[in-house]
Amino acid sequence: MRIAADRILGIALIGLAAFAAFKATQFQVTFSYEPVGPKAFPILLSVVLAALSLVLVFRPGEDGAWPDKRVALKLAAVLVVLLVYALLFTRLGFLVTTFFAVLSLARLFGAGWPKALLAGVLMALGSNYLFTLGLGISLPGGHWLPDFN
Amino acid sequence: MFDFLIHGFDVALTPLNLGLAFLGALLGTLFGALPGIGPINGIAILMPLAYTLGLPAESALILLAGVYTGAEYGGRMSSILLNVPGDAGAVMSTLDGHPLAKKGLAGPALGLSAVSSFVGATIAIIGLTLFAPLLARVAVMFGPAEFFALMVFAFSSMAVMMGKDPVKTGIGAVLGVMIAMIGVDSGTGVMRYTFGLAELYDGIDFVVMIIGLFAISEILLMLEHANRQDAGDAMPPVGRVMVSLKEVLYCKWAMLRSGVIGFIVGVLPGTGASVAGAVSYTTEKRLSDKENTFGTGDMRGLAAPEAGNNASAAGSFVPMLTLGIPGSGTTAVLLGALMLYNITPGPMLFSERPEVAGGLIASLYIGNIMLLALNLPLAGFFAKVLTIPRWVLVPAIAILAFVGVYQLHSDLMAIYLMLVIGIFGYLLRKLGFSLAPVILGYVLGGLMEDNLRRALSISGGDMGILWQSGISIGLWIAAVLLLVLPWLLPRLLPGKSPARA
Amino acid sequence: MKFNSAFLRWSAPLVMGAALMTGTAHAQADGTECIAPAKPGGGYDLTCRLAANGLQETGLIDKPMMVTYMPGGIGAVAYNHVNGVRNDDPNLIVAASTGAAVNLALGKFGQYDASEVRWLGALGVDYGAIVVKADAPWQTLDDLMQDLKKRPGGIVFGAGGTVGSQDWMKAALTAKAAGISPRKLRYVAFEGGGESLAALLGDHIQVFTGDLSELRPHLESGKVRVLAALAEERVGGPYADIPTAAEQGYDVEWPIWRGYYMGPDVSDKAYNAWEDRLEKLADNEQFAKMREARGLFPMARFGDDFDGYVKKQVAQFKQLAKEVGLSQ
Repeated sequence: MRIAADRILGIALIGLAAFAAFKATQFQVTFSYEPVGPKAFPILLSVVLAALSLVLVFRPGEDGAWPDKRVALKLAAVLVVLLVYALLFTRLGFLVTTFFAVLSLARLFGAGWPKALLAGVLMALGSNYLFTLGLGISLPGGHWLPDFN
Repeated sequence: MFDFLIHGFDVALTPLNLGLAFLGALLGTLFGALPGIGPINGIAILMPLAYTLGLPAESALILLAGVYTGAEYGGRMSSILLNVPGDAGAVMSTLDGHPLAKKGLAGPALGLSAVSSFVGATIAIIGLTLFAPLLARVAVMFGPAEFFALMVFAFSSMAVMMGKDPVKTGIGAVLGVMIAMIGVDSGTGVMRYTFGLAELYDGIDFVVMIIGLFAISEILLMLEHANRQDAGDAMPPVGRVMVSLKEVLYCKWAMLRSGVIGFIVGVLPGTGASVAGAVSYTTEKRLSDKENTFGTGDMRGLAAPEAGNNASAAGSFVPMLTLGIPGSGTTAVLLGALMLYNITPGPMLFSERPEVAGGLIASLYIGNIMLLALNLPLAGFFAKVLTIPRWVLVPAIAILAFVGVYQLHSDLMAIYLMLVIGIFGYLLRKLGFSLAPVILGYVLGGLMEDNLRRALSISGGDMGILWQSGISIGLWIAAVLLLVLPWLLPRLLPGKSPARA
Repeated sequence: MKFNSAFLRWSAPLVMGAALMTGTAHAQADGTECIAPAKPGGGYDLTCRLAANGLQETGLIDKPMMVTYMPGGIGAVAYNHVNGVRNDDPNLIVAASTGAAVNLALGKFGQYDASEVRWLGALGVDYGAIVVKADAPWQTLDDLMQDLKKRPGGIVFGAGGTVGSQDWMKAALTAKAAGISPRKLRYVAFEGGGESLAALLGDHIQVFTGDLSELRPHLESGKVRVLAALAEERVGGPYADIPTAAEQGYDVEWPIWRGYYMGPDVSDKAYNAWEDRLEKLADNEQFAKMREARGLFPMARFGDDFDGYVKKQVAQFKQLAKEVGLSQ
């Protein structure tokens, strides 16, 4: 496991480089005035990336400490919270989604239920107030109420 | 010849305009401090406000310029405290700013960066007052070939960052450049790596990039730290709050040099605070990092980009006021504000509307002093952000990231992109990559490609154009010198003992 | 809660100072909104602000109109958004221009074409211009064209858009009028008009195909010479001395209208109300001054008239793209 991370990365990057270079050759140029064109840079970069990645495969550096299963699950949970926050952001509006996002993030970062609930309410209201009134930024109001237009 | 300035101080010192300068400075600091909400948004938000208030042109401009310069001040706060750049110019300030905060020096770091910002901005404002018309002429001499040489120079100065792991630094930079390739190719209009998604046509936005790369990955890392066998909560207690005179003096050369560099970069149309911060940081590291302490919390490594990005903010007023050509995205918005008032910036501005040109420049002097006065005492106050428990801090960062990206794009795709980039950033950091080369590659790579291709389409493919002018030759030489200097320099500038607390 | 209270403490004076004084720019559910499909500061921003400030100052709306930025896809993101998400919003207008019509014609807006939205009206128009530096050898458009015929690759054109953009179209059409294939041009794409102008002033390019409105400050300074305005007839005011391309014997016109569209499923009632609003605005004298301040010339096309105009234009551009070899 110790050496694997950099090797896997190196191989993945070589794959990326190959993909990028292949895509670059597919660019359809109707016509262009310049001798360089849109393909040269991406292809050049792919070659450099592949070369550097090759070094990585043969001379991998030290491996960092990777999270154990429990932490990895928590990381995934944070990402899911953020993703759901994004998915519902406009649909349910800023206040509601922010309340739930803060609540769950606070829980994931070790706050008890009372603290997390308090944080959710205060931060959702507080940031709403700060952004709309203080800074004049418009936030999504949500489409879950019947049309009031 | 400085009548306009004397007249300008008359204008700027009226109670209304003083108040507006203060309001602008305060709001600007806040806009800059919130990640994702930078000077451009600050101005775009306040512009209609100033207009509906019926402010006269010079007052509106004073307010908006205050926001602009204030945002460059504010951007550093979250860089230092959270390792999340508050705006584009503050990316490099994370490199030494955050390590300083980790050492328990958040207060002094904030204070020092306020002083550096002040010094950098002051140098640039003086430069603006004295040389504006002259510099405007130099600025237009920068064509595509010269910009390309400048980018080569910037990349070669980046070589100093190769320090620990040159391969990974290189890969990071290449990945950054490749991300910059996404979108409509500016030369031919060809779509590159957009996969048919309209949201990718314009490329990946800078704000989405830095918020994802820094803020989201930071949240994930914080979770890991929180779950490690209690590492003493990582952050030491906030100790000393004020920056000492000794520390400021230790950084004086870093500030002065970076102020000049930042001003020059700011004057050039097309390069802004992010390039200024990068070039001043790498130059300073090249020149004075004898003990290899940059990146581990060296005060000079914080002073340099802060002086640089603030100087570039003032510098970008030069082409705007004298040529009517915006020197940065932010001045482009300011230019729009001027047009609202039926004022057309350009060579005639100083003679036809001296109250506008003079009032603006005078207000920059005043606003800059206000910003220092505002930011120094607040350093201790803001340093306390570090004592906030994670369960409050993390949701706050998440809210700021979401609102910042959403109000820029009004589009969810940008938020999804931000999350994807965040995961990417987390993986990179876990694998021992530094994020700075990625960002630098992203900023400089696009400019480099565009300008090389523009230069060669001007010359019809003749490479000679790349080293035709004196400016480009100078830059090529400087680029080569940067790689040789470490052997030359120790004799020229004897280093002083580092000031440590 | 320190983090939050810190910001709240900060915001307290701002809230009182800035927000309450003005009633703020943030919109309520019943307020009107204009989407600028770009980042702040560009032409679309100005187009939205023209409507927002105009309508408010003339009292045609009671609450300030909100301006939202939706950059991405050279306008395609906003176009898709209006088609997909807010297709029937009666309070929403979106800024558009000739540039959007060009992109539609080239199929850059993906699955959608010009008939997918309801084109509402235009409040102003700008014209393309052929610009050279004041010390350039060409005094008239004809001088330039004759020279261009002799050495088509020897004169460098530049403008703020890629091949296929409306900025490029101006250069391509000019070349075409001289009987030169646009493929033989030497053309450099910059990032916006400002950079191109800087390149012209710095002698990096010789001809800049820009817009009249952005040139005004530079006319007064005497640093550039406008060889031709790409308008149907001479435009007045500070541009009265600039001849059109047509009167110099070259048939090139390039009006850049600045207008708005609405979602495809907006009710006729809402659409007509907006049409009425814009028409009233266009007749207002105060608004005429604001429009002039933006360097725009009058253009009065609203409702079905405008809708037809845009669709016809898109069809023309499609034809044009084939002629200049841009599309198959």
